[in-house]
Amino acid sequence: MRLFRYLQHWLTGHGTRLQVADFVPKTHPLRQWADTFPWTALVAAIDRSFAQRFPKDSPRGRAPVSSRVLLALELLKHEVGASDEAICHRLRTDFAVMYACGIEAVQVDGSQEHFVLPETLAQFRQRIDEAVMDALLTIQAATAMDEGLVSPAHLLVDTFPAEQGSQRVTEATTLYKAQKKSSSSSRPLRRPASRTRPH
Amino acid sequence: MRRFGQQCRGHGKVLVTVVRQTEQQLLQLGSPLVALAHATQHRLQQAAHLAERQRDRLARQLQAALETHHVISTQSRRLTQGKRLHHCKIVNAYDGTIAPILKGKSNCPAQFGRKPGLLSEPTTGFIFALRVPAGNPSDPSYVLPMLDKVQRAIDRVSLPRRLAIHSVAGDLGVNDAALREALHARGILTVGIPQTVAPILPSPTQEEVRESLTAAGLHRKRTPHQVHLAFACGYSRPVVESHIASLLARGAGHIRYKGLQGAVVQMGMTVIAHNGAAMVRIRQLQLSKRAQKFRRLLGLRHRKINQINTSKN
Repeated sequence: MRLFRYLQHWLTGHGTRLQVADFVPKTHPLRQWADTFPWTALVAAIDRSFAQRFPKDSPRGRAPVSSRVLLALELLKHEVGASDEAICHRLRTDFAVMYACGIEAVQVDGSQEHFVLPETLAQFRQRIDEAVMDALLTIQAATAMDEGLVSPAHLLVDTFPAEQGSQRVTEATTLYKAQKKSSSSSRPLRRPASRTRPH
Repeated sequence: MRRFGQQCRGHGKVLVTVVRQTEQQLLQLGSPLVALAHATQHRLQQAAHLAERQRDRLARQLQAALETHHVISTQSRRLTQGKRLHHCKIVNAYDGTIAPILKGKSNCPAQFGRKPGLLSEPTTGFIFALRVPAGNPSDPSYVLPMLDKVQRAIDRVSLPRRLAIHSVAGDLGVNDAALREALHARGILTVGIPQTVAPILPSPTQEEVRESLTAAGLHRKRTPHQVHLAFACGYSRPVVESHIASLLARGAGHIRYKGLQGAVVQMGMTVIAHNGAAMVRIRQLQLSKRAQKFRRLLGLRHRKINQINTSKN
């Protein structure tokens, strides 16, 4: 039943089909952002990699969610700073997100539950490896160079530290933060200078 | 902290004796593990009732556990003997690829995590290549693998004029003689990589340009105009910090996905999203005056996409 609900929106065909592009103005930031990506090449690279490394999809059961939708959701997550749940919820109602995901038309159907479950997005992410990521970035860079937007002639190199999330709440960091907090709270506050109205 | 008994980063008090005693007890407790594991491996090979795939899977898992045990016990032994640890010590038993990122700060907790490297364009902040290695390798080791990735992207381009990398600029961290030689061999100028703390000249003299070309041995490959641009690029190298700041604003400073693969995916997706935003800025010409001038010098096209070209009457 859950699986049916999952794709009910497309399966039942209730309601009038709405053209997503009609609802998203051309100047919308997400539309402009989404239009920069070479989606066909990116999706083809992902599908090729998945086909080599994972078993073929079974013809039985529900049809899989398109790689185009999942890739766009994953990128949108980092563009708008949303969580898996938040971006999947936005896909249900936000036309700009639908446009970015390549959904051309939707139907008005109040009973629809989810377009994509957050778990599906996590499973998609687990399948992506370093080679696929390199391929995606290479395709994007090649497209930008092909359009004459960027040039690789002069490049800058640098590194930066990135903390691993699991060490966020260790005893040492908690103690350090608590000590820092207590020292800042025990510091005497500067009394603001008394304002005297000139007579 | 590199070894016990030495005041280092952080405010925590290290109870040296207690830690050493506990480590010794743990080592003693874990000592029969290796012999047991070897015996299990031997038995596993003889277990005919198991399917071959199952046997392989179990053997692989056992081997991984043995390797992890070996690494952890080696580090524990060094700690109990008061020896100095190597640079990338283990900070997480479940993920050996995490390392302390030492960035020259003192008196604060060391960050444990990754050190991604990037190769970006100075004008628009478009990131051409990204590398998220295991541990905390030296900065010069990032450059050549990332240049290879850029070269792969260049090979995909179908423009009539051949694109090439002319110069690479970086901070003092990438100042390495072997790297300079390797870059010169590829026809890439290194005038943007400083050798001292002195700032790079924004506009070098003819003599300096000639000297740079002679030192790199690229007289026939690179023109004085390209050397001038390379100097300008090296002078404005700090702009890369703004590209990093843009990534940090998208959550790249904190890796939330699990393991090295998770870090690669998160960073990669962040960079691709950032590049999309950079391309929107380029298309809408929302660039600084400096960036516009640099792009003109590089001969990049200027498209007014928002202008209506139909009849204006």
